[in-house]
Amino acid sequence: MTTSLPQGRRQFIKSALGTASALTLAKIAPAWAYPTGRSYGDVIHADQAVDLVIRRENQTIAGLSGRPITINGSMPGPLIRLKEGQRARLNVTNGLNEDTSIHWHGIILPENMDGVPGVSFPGIKPGETFHYEYEVQQNGTYWYHSHSGLQEQLGHLGPLVIDSADGDIGADREHVIILSDWTFEDPYEVFRNLTVAEGYYNYQQRTLGDTLADIRRQGIAKTWEERAMWNRMRMSARDILDVTGSTYTYLINGRDNATNWTALYKPGEQVRLRVINGSAMSFFDFRIPGLEMTVVSADGQPVKPVTVDEFRIGVAETYDVIVTPQGNRPYTLFAESMDRSGYVRGTLATQLGQAAPVPELRPVPERGMAAMGMSHAMGDMQSSGSESSMEDHAAMSHRPGPMTSGRQRPSAPDLGIQHAPGGHGPAAAMIARNPVSRLNEPGVGLEDVGHRVLVYGDLVGAHPWPDEHEPARNIELHLTGNMEKYMWSFDGEKYSEVDGPVAFRHGERLRLIMVNDTMMDHPIHLHGMWMELENGQYPRPRKHTISLKPSEVVSLQISADALGSWAFHCHLLYHMKAGMFRVVNVS
Amino acid sequence: MRKLNTVISLMLAGMSAPLLAGHAEEHWPEPVKPYRTGQVLFDRLEVARTDNDDDLIVWDMLAWYGGDRNRVYFKSEGENQRDDGEPSELESAEVLASRLIAPFWELQGGLGTRGSMASGADRENYLVFSLFGLAPYRFEMDNSITINEEGDITANLEAEYDLRLSQVSYLQPRLEVSAALTDADAYDRPSGFNDLRVGLRYRHELSREFAPYLGVYWSRALGNKADRIRAQGGDESTLGVVVGVRMWF
Repeated sequence: MTTSLPQGRRQFIKSALGTASALTLAKIAPAWAYPTGRSYGDVIHADQAVDLVIRRENQTIAGLSGRPITINGSMPGPLIRLKEGQRARLNVTNGLNEDTSIHWHGIILPENMDGVPGVSFPGIKPGETFHYEYEVQQNGTYWYHSHSGLQEQLGHLGPLVIDSADGDIGADREHVIILSDWTFEDPYEVFRNLTVAEGYYNYQQRTLGDTLADIRRQGIAKTWEERAMWNRMRMSARDILDVTGSTYTYLINGRDNATNWTALYKPGEQVRLRVINGSAMSFFDFRIPGLEMTVVSADGQPVKPVTVDEFRIGVAETYDVIVTPQGNRPYTLFAESMDRSGYVRGTLATQLGQAAPVPELRPVPERGMAAMGMSHAMGDMQSSGSESSMEDHAAMSHRPGPMTSGRQRPSAPDLGIQHAPGGHGPAAAMIARNPVSRLNEPGVGLEDVGHRVLVYGDLVGAHPWPDEHEPARNIELHLTGNMEKYMWSFDGEKYSEVDGPVAFRHGERLRLIMVNDTMMDHPIHLHGMWMELENGQYPRPRKHTISLKPSEVVSLQISADALGSWAFHCHLLYHMKAGMFRVVNVS
Repeated sequence: MRKLNTVISLMLAGMSAPLLAGHAEEHWPEPVKPYRTGQVLFDRLEVARTDNDDDLIVWDMLAWYGGDRNRVYFKSEGENQRDDGEPSELESAEVLASRLIAPFWELQGGLGTRGSMASGADRENYLVFSLFGLAPYRFEMDNSITINEEGDITANLEAEYDLRLSQVSYLQPRLEVSAALTDADAYDRPSGFNDLRVGLRYRHELSREFAPYLGVYWSRALGNKADRIRAQGGDESTLGVVVGVRMWF
């Protein structure tokens, strides 16, 4: 992969970067994320084979010494640029002392190239090289990562961008932004902490002081009612993310806040930002104060442009936005973790060294009533011990938010939901009695931000997809969990407890209905096939990863056109590790 | 898992040959491996000074190993009175098999022993069943029934609650009640309620794993046991202050 720079671009780099040495540059950005980004018209040769070497090595991360997994010497790994219609040839060499793998996230390819050890291939042994080879049938913003153990948490990931056949990027310049969460702890230690000590990383729990403040604000009776509901269920309204900024350093293109990764623009240019959430456990809320963003692509697939001020990006999702920065001023690229325990920022500027004000972290959000600002707003959930019932929160959610993108948001279809008789056993601490569509809700902490926040209901596919058959059957799966024991599963059964794969018939069109019976948000990823989200819009947007809010039901249309076995799982790394994983078999 | 692989293999076998080429599924690793871990937790490791000027060292610990549904537990409680020349008094040492029977509850069964830790001491051995977990309103509970070799039955209830004062500090009320369903004179346990112990501890986490605390407790003999102590001219209630640490690894 080589890039040849036209004369004009060289001059731009020269003037923008001044006398910065190559060494300085390497510190502020990985080679592929140089501040100049890529202007329309740059030539990318991706027709040669790409060699990737996976190693574990010492690197400076946020000014401290860490030991991430690197790909070709960098963490995150290099930007791989392919072109629609080419044959991708990627040689991955394992320099670790354990097995590894690379999964090409969101890429339609043959089963044996999907890179999931135990499902699509045996994995890559230490010292071995695996040759991935497939026809590139799509374009857009994607990423790649290890599917072995907890390697992703060590930074075994990178961006993957596929140019359209005509090379048009739909903007004057583009920057790739991959967000990730780094910890200096051993990922297996993180997992054990979650397993043996619930709330280990949560330093934002409610305290006595919060309860006293509630009593002053709303009286004893109502406070008791609220607290009693949560405490009967033995759950926390402040369980937003399992692993938080208390251990994570959030990174933008591998760089921390102090480094201030910077993307350059020229005033008046349209700049495409390809935003990838490559983190292990962190949902981010992304905004650029002072700039509106026009979302043009979701999970690499084009959508009708929709202009917003902020979007939430679930783990493994990607969004492409177009921004048109004006003047000579810098703008802060701000990615705040969903639980407000931390953030990472970068800068969009006309010159290196510029910075704009960095927003404060917003208050810690709380699930349920308080966050909705109304009484009885909690979900209609029942702990499976059946001691309690709660009133419906999501029923209120159909109200339009105070600020919308302006797009009509029809409601998603109504679906009849079946719960297993008697619930889902000990693996499910809760079932959603009355799950509803929450596609038009921005999500916890974003309800009243006072500006336009993207919701799934805003996404409209840029064009219809080839298979328009009405699904002939429904498959229903429930997302289940027990935070106390850190059990995560589908239908109350961990991967190690299920009898066999979820069976799709080759060539069929089916509807996958998912119900989130937990208090957490989950990004659910299907390998090998697209999921068309039934959000009431036409054409439907299609996604590789769909985030579900607590007590939400979503439905997706799938064309089972990819023979073989495919992974299907929650993309929160430790949820997958705990067993929230299935194999889908298409035969 | 072998079963799943077989199912997948059979399904794949029905498909076109090229897909199978080069695949050796039996040798493939699991995509997600079952996970087991363990923990050693000293819920209370403390020195106590009573209103009778006794100095005690008290422990209340458990250790477990296993997955999320099935675990093996070792639990022990006991105390050593300093300068009394006696060996430690073992309130309980139990080995239990545990099964998660509801989202917040484990049912445990096993064997235990209690009595003096002196070598050659005649300890009481017993069968134990526990309901261990988190009750609504987040009360941590360990309720157990024991049956010794003579058929004497006891019931014990332990409940703790963590009131969060800050992100790292807690006020922890604690309640312990024990009763005997049968007269066990050999072990000084008349039938009926025997002991009540309440405590209040303020705990501060230096880390999640290591949290020193200060506290007070009050214990009182009940029912027939109290009568007996009074008849012997003893004091049926004790007040104590404690300094200790809750720690796990």
